[in-house]
Amino acid sequence: MSTTETFEFNAKNMTTYKEYLTRYDDVESALLPVLHLAQEQNGWLPEHVVSYISKLMNIPEIKIKGVISFYDMFYDVPVARNIVHVCTNITCSMFGGREIYQGLLTHFDTGYLTPTRDGRISLQKMECLGACELAPCMRVNNDFVGNLDLTSAIQKLEELP
Amino acid sequence: MKETANNKDYALLSYHHIPGVHNLEIFERAGGYETMKACFEKDPEAIKEEVKLSGLRGRGGAGFATGVKWGFFTKDRKAQKYLLCNADESEPGTFKDRYLVEKNPHILIEGMIISAWALATQKGYIYIRGEFYQQAVILERAIKEAYAKGYLGKNILGKGFDFDLYVHRGAGAYICGEETGMISSLEGKKGQPKLKPPFPAIKGYRGLPTMVNNVESLAAIPWIMKFGAAAYKQWGTEKSPGTKLFSISGDVNKPGVIEVPLSTSLKDIIEIHCGGMRNGNKLKAVIPGGSSAPVFNAEDAYTVKMDYEDVAAKGSMLGSGAIIVLDETRNMGDVLKWTLEFYHHESCGQCTPCREGTGWLESVFKRRDKGLAHKADIDLLDRTANSMRGQTICALADAAAMPTQGMIKVFRQELEAYVVAPIKK
Repeated sequence: MSTTETFEFNAKNMTTYKEYLTRYDDVESALLPVLHLAQEQNGWLPEHVVSYISKLMNIPEIKIKGVISFYDMFYDVPVARNIVHVCTNITCSMFGGREIYQGLLTHFDTGYLTPTRDGRISLQKMECLGACELAPCMRVNNDFVGNLDLTSAIQKLEELP
Repeated sequence: MKETANNKDYALLSYHHIPGVHNLEIFERAGGYETMKACFEKDPEAIKEEVKLSGLRGRGGAGFATGVKWGFFTKDRKAQKYLLCNADESEPGTFKDRYLVEKNPHILIEGMIISAWALATQKGYIYIRGEFYQQAVILERAIKEAYAKGYLGKNILGKGFDFDLYVHRGAGAYICGEETGMISSLEGKKGQPKLKPPFPAIKGYRGLPTMVNNVESLAAIPWIMKFGAAAYKQWGTEKSPGTKLFSISGDVNKPGVIEVPLSTSLKDIIEIHCGGMRNGNKLKAVIPGGSSAPVFNAEDAYTVKMDYEDVAAKGSMLGSGAIIVLDETRNMGDVLKWTLEFYHHESCGQCTPCREGTGWLESVFKRRDKGLAHKADIDLLDRTANSMRGQTICALADAAAMPTQGMIKVFRQELEAYVVAPIKK
């Protein structure tokens, strides 16, 4: 990571950031929403983004990094423009969720979270997504897609921009 | 997903058949927010008493009486305090809260406003798991509508009562469903649970009194306040009154969410509400209350009534009401392996018995996958699980130990065969 890279909230997100602060009785409580916002703008949360948030919110960088690494949906490695969560918990595994995850890794010739070479897709094996009636299911960016088999999963992901 | 017709009469899904009921206007036309308005004319203590009398038990999994929990909360109406709705729904097999809020966010908001009035909380947060992005958007939109009508904000309906409500998104961590883990997460930290006591009702978010209630518990409040505790108790048993949402998945023809009176037989749930077993296969086992709940064999599953006491009497727990149905084609070794991978991944790492214990449990299956496990490893699983129980800050270690020991109790021979079976490549 080059140290010369910089990050700051764009005007719209700066407004959102300020609105977030009004929701809480202290600044630190806004950290999760702020990290979601920063990740939305930057795609992932590299050191220069952490450094910016640290200065903005007056929270030590190490605490922010601790939070980022704790949660599965915050990324401290580069990810693709589309994030796909594949459920491998009990009900989805009963209906082939694990085989679908492995099949997708093979089809897209990639590994856990590693962006495909065209930068299109990052695949992430996830625990129960809370949509077991759709098993086996995955989340494509923010939407659940269910009742999959490997063919329909590949087809769905191949449609992604 | 289709509701069964009788859901219209129940407490939680009674609006679900109305198209567009996520819009405030349509919700109100169907009688929504009337109870809230009526409650503002009531003494807050009388509301608390009614909820206590209803016997409503916390629907997140622990089943602790909501009214009793409310009773621990300070009566000082001026003191700064919070209402926190637990919408982190992450117990494997559970998807009832998602179904409830995505179709009818206003029933939750109405329940929260009534609760806030009773408890005199000035601010509330709906902590929703990060994966439920669209559901968070639906809630935010509904909250905006409620603000516009003057049901939220300053001096609500001229009653001199202020209540602000916000959605707070998690970011993918099962442990944030534990109420003190949720509070840590809301505070902008890792979602690590805190030692109890002090309980959150006394010392919670930012060290201030915080009432944490599940989505389904809060959504039941409007019905209870509209029709009264006695009417609520027409359903269920003395110790398990009311209706409950069940999330049913696995080997049934119609998986989905249903609302039925507590104490409905699991057999009826499977055969009537879920259209019976998939492919006409035979039932083998049921996980009755989310992945933390010990498994039932077919005999127990076909005789149990789904209330807190009968499920406990048969050695498991009602939990979040997540029913995973397994047919004769399923291998229980696979099911335990998937379960233990989950708990190891989700352990927050604070307490050694959990951080190490969940890893040891999982490692038996990792060895098995390399062809290196032995029959005796089942005893090792049992001993390890036993030594984890009751040794940690929160219940995650127990939540991994209980289904492990339950599975060994019911399916020992199958597990022994599984761990030494040749590996399919």
